[in-house]
Amino acid sequence: MHRIATVVRLNRTTLQLDDSAYARLERYLEESASLLEGDPDPEEIIADLEQAVAEQCTRRLPSNQSVVTLAELEPALEEIGSVQLPGNGSASSSQWQASSPSPRRPAESRALQQISQGAVISGVCLGLAEHFRLDATLVRVAFVLLLIFTSGALIPVYLALMVLMPYAPLDPDGAPVRWLPAKCRAAMEFLRAKLGVDRPRKIAA
Amino acid sequence: MPAESKLAPIRKGLLEFLVLKIVGGRSVYVADILRKLAGTEFSTQEGTLYPLLSKLRREDLVQYEWQESEAGPPRKYYRLTQAGQAQLAALDDYWNLLNRTVTNLGH
Repeated sequence: MHRIATVVRLNRTTLQLDDSAYARLERYLEESASLLEGDPDPEEIIADLEQAVAEQCTRRLPSNQSVVTLAELEPALEEIGSVQLPGNGSASSSQWQASSPSPRRPAESRALQQISQGAVISGVCLGLAEHFRLDATLVRVAFVLLLIFTSGALIPVYLALMVLMPYAPLDPDGAPVRWLPAKCRAAMEFLRAKLGVDRPRKIAA
Repeated sequence: MPAESKLAPIRKGLLEFLVLKIVGGRSVYVADILRKLAGTEFSTQEGTLYPLLSKLRREDLVQYEWQESEAGPPRKYYRLTQAGQAQLAALDDYWNLLNRTVTNLGH
């Protein structure tokens, strides 16, 4: 037996991909998602990109072929290009008014929020440390000790904080985001989008 | 020609203005925007355009609606909101001002 194709749903189109094309597309979408870290609407942009991939591949597919291979996918991705975020992703449109430089906001980062950059799990301890102006290592050690002391009762507390604490915006000059914090962040953003929390819905024009 | 590295940020900054300009009064599909820019030095890709359009939508400068296409799934057609039109007019004025300034300096 030999698996020939995987059927994927790309936004509003279904497409059949062979294994290597599937792996390539998966990598492209993962890369795009990580490049969109910090953008307020990553799902919308990913959906747009998925549709672009579907359209480009369908257009390139020879009429006697139904499964997309790298021969179609590579030039399609080449044409779509990798994700480039526009200037400062902030919601202010003041970048055109040369007289009002957008102020950096280091002081505001004291709000209680998770910090992905330099985090170990999701950034809860780092966020708490930042908020209460404590040493991050101290908070983490205290967390682990309490975790042992309460024989694990702290785990749901951590999970609850993960859901409740918003994520600090990513600082392009800051520390990199490790694999696990990136996954946690993506998962929480996905969850919040599903629940419809703090995210503007698509407008119906 | 000045070094490419000095020109790239200028193009990047202007792209938003040009996209607003192309969206203009009509409603356009992303492929229309790409086609308009294709022959110019602002030639760009969907990977750049979608995040930019998403930001413009968030800033309430453009909005989109789904429209059926002849072939394939419905597409998003973008057009300017009132705020977008006001912004475009302001950018146009500012561009003209910049243009005059750049031309007049050094005389």
